[in-house]
Amino acid sequence: MKYMLMMNTMKAGPEGITAWAKQDIEAHIAYMLDLNKDLTASGEFVSAEGLTFPDQARLVRAGKDGIPITDGVFPESKEFLAGYWIVDAATPERAYAIAARASAAPGPGGAPLNMGIEVRPIMSLPPKSS
Amino acid sequence: MKYILLMAGTKAGVETYHAWSKKDIDGHMAVLFSLNRELTDSGEFVATQGLAGPQDAKVVRGLKNGLPVTDGVFPESKEFLLGYWIVDVKSPERAYEIAGQISAAPGPGGVPTNMPIEVRQFASHGPKS
Repeated sequence: MKYMLMMNTMKAGPEGITAWAKQDIEAHIAYMLDLNKDLTASGEFVSAEGLTFPDQARLVRAGKDGIPITDGVFPESKEFLAGYWIVDAATPERAYAIAARASAAPGPGGAPLNMGIEVRPIMSLPPKSS
Repeated sequence: MKYILLMAGTKAGVETYHAWSKKDIDGHMAVLFSLNRELTDSGEFVATQGLAGPQDAKVVRGLKNGLPVTDGVFPESKEFLLGYWIVDVKSPERAYEIAGQISAAPGPGGVPTNMPIEVRQFASHGPKS
């Protein structure tokens, strides 16, 4: 069963990684790379990506003529997706265990962040049109 | 350049969608499938997925002993991810154009939903395997 593990964060929150010391950032990334290696070794890894910050994000809507309307303003207070993992786990509990490991990634001074990781099952197939 | 196009909604919005007529749902999905085919033909398609509803979602935090703590309560009012597209495109404008096409997918009576699509670029130094 496939699950998407989403790491959400706030732009200006205590989890704002850009304000960390270089050493702390490196330890954090090393921890995440380790997790990906372990998931690859166990055959549970599907994909993982980090996303750029909200200053590069756009909210797009189609206008009447189909031309995209982009909204450059991304609310400061909005939670945004910092990155995600897609894993193929045997049980939901296994997906939660992987999420907990991501949650425990080290922050400033090496203390675990214990950030919330949203775990969502991926639909096996989207509804087909007849 | 890889972008992820995120389609988010609220519980109320999803319930509205479930109340659409079969014909309207079919029309909506047909446009999205046809977009996937076009993106595959243009070589821009990377992946797309729909996610199961928030009733199956959990928020997990790690404890000091590494055991997961799951929170089954998912706030009613919270926006959640319905699905996403990953595309590999030459410019941000092209990513916005694709997002515009998704946004223009028809809703009830064939009227475009114009739902907002969040466009986010992949970090080049993100945690990769």
